[in-house]
Amino acid sequence: MVPLENYLALSAIVFSLGVYGVLARRNAVLILMSVELMLNAVSMNFIAFAAYLDPTRVTGAIFAVFVITVAAAEVGLALAIVIRLYRNRQTSNVDEAATLKW
Amino acid sequence: MDQRDYTIFIPEFIAAGSALAIIGLELFFPKIRRDIPAYLTALAALAWGIAGAFYIGKDPNNFQGLVQSDNYTTFFRLLAASIVFVTALMSASYMRERTKTAAEYYGLLLLAGCGLVYMAAARELITAYISLELLSFCLYILVGFLKRDSLSSEASLKYILLGAFSSAMLLYGISIIYGVTNSTGYDQIAVQLAQRSGDTDGAVIVGFVLILAGVGFKVSAAPFHMWAPDAYEGAPLPITGFLSTLSKAAGFALFVRLFTAAFQVDAPEWRWAVAFLAAATMVIGNLIAIQQSSLKRLVAYSSIGQVGYMLVVIAAIGYGDQELGRNASSALLLHIGGYVVSTLALFAALTAYYNRTGKDTIVGLRGLAETQPLLAMVITVSLFSFAGLPFFAGFATKLIMFQSATTDGLLWLVGLAVVNSFISLYYYLMVIRQMYLFEPEGGLTRFRPSPLLGALAGVLMLGVVFIGVYPTALYKAADRATETLYQQAPTGAVQAP
Repeated sequence: MVPLENYLALSAIVFSLGVYGVLARRNAVLILMSVELMLNAVSMNFIAFAAYLDPTRVTGAIFAVFVITVAAAEVGLALAIVIRLYRNRQTSNVDEAATLKW
Repeated sequence: MDQRDYTIFIPEFIAAGSALAIIGLELFFPKIRRDIPAYLTALAALAWGIAGAFYIGKDPNNFQGLVQSDNYTTFFRLLAASIVFVTALMSASYMRERTKTAAEYYGLLLLAGCGLVYMAAARELITAYISLELLSFCLYILVGFLKRDSLSSEASLKYILLGAFSSAMLLYGISIIYGVTNSTGYDQIAVQLAQRSGDTDGAVIVGFVLILAGVGFKVSAAPFHMWAPDAYEGAPLPITGFLSTLSKAAGFALFVRLFTAAFQVDAPEWRWAVAFLAAATMVIGNLIAIQQSSLKRLVAYSSIGQVGYMLVVIAAIGYGDQELGRNASSALLLHIGGYVVSTLALFAALTAYYNRTGKDTIVGLRGLAETQPLLAMVITVSLFSFAGLPFFAGFATKLIMFQSATTDGLLWLVGLAVVNSFISLYYYLMVIRQMYLFEPEGGLTRFRPSPLLGALAGVLMLGVVFIGVYPTALYKAADRATETLYQQAPTGAVQAP
């Protein structure tokens, strides 16, 4: 069986990639994808813990299901807002949407 | 033992049911006057509050250990109902002039209120997370509700991107705590944290810091506050008030329950981080507020400063014993109550002024004392209350809060908070100066605010003065609300799912 550490290391790497993406990308859609990456790392964590800590209890797996569901809703909402911004401004770049400052 | 008590959900069934009914109403009767949903929402909030009032003083009761109904929940239930009530009335004429259909707007107000209640009631991390997201999703939409207004869309986009980022961090922290404790129930987490061996210290600290960052984002604590001024400025005016009351109250409802019930046993691992957050938040909020020219942004930064004061209490929960923790939490609830009333009074007056003139800058308030003395007085009273001058709510609540949060390890933080209160007086006085010392601009003559908003602002102003002169009444309620905070859930609680 693959040791728990490997899963945790993988999820930490994926999470860090997501954080990097959020900080480095300037397109709203790409930032959303990076957030998805972070959430997938979270799900990975939950499922790995659920399987290794106590296979008879599924709290972690249920939490992962909730995370996936909420993430889907979040993306739907965020894309709607991106489209709204695009209609108003003809851009989905977060640097150009900078009327509000300080 | 299987304990499924559906009666504890009745007030929120009423609220959520009427939210759906109000949204449906406009679907079937598209021609109704556009402010009817606002008054219906106010009625629904009233019914919600009355239903909630029946729970005052009842024995704690829970639903499978997931959701607990006790005085703490009831306190926030009544707070949520009153915030929704006032905001709905405030929005009526504002939204009528700016959107074609606003029924969803009012439905979302009620749903956001339900989110607050379950953040306060949750005794389990999945429930807490879902309630947090329910609240946040409603707020994302409400901030961006003015579809044709590009500022509103931009604010909403920034809010949702940073909000999603912060919930991902929160979740990663939760997953680590779950990994260490093999549980998501607050009580089991506390038991497991107390029993754990030393080799998981690193993981626990990382988990705590990530959870703090996640919740810190939601309450806009520095250095995670960057979304707040933008979201506040772009949002419709009543929603700015809604954001600065409801989302703050919700964040702290979750904060206090989570950190007293689950994380208190491990206080040395996280309390330094909270103390740092509190110090950074109050200094940054108050210093940046000085140079604002937009009223909404000024309120945003001043509310960030207020969050700094409130975080002192969370730090005190970590540094003190249970006795001190409980007193400090009661004082925090009192302060939140006073802050909510002052903020709503301020926004009722600002909305009345904005509906008449369309100005929302500080300079735009020039000569208000001449054109509309009542609104000027309400704004002055609520700003004095924020600054903490005697006879207004902010003084009494802040005094009690700092007093009960003072412990040996935190004297420096309390001192810093007092210094910051003085700084904040400066920029509040700048606003008051514009109203009283300058002539009205653009030939504006004396006008009457709409009777509804004028009455609302007047009543809320009396509330501010009442809490300031006689805080005991609210403090007693807050004190009874925190009774159950440190108690373990009843034995009937099953292990979360």
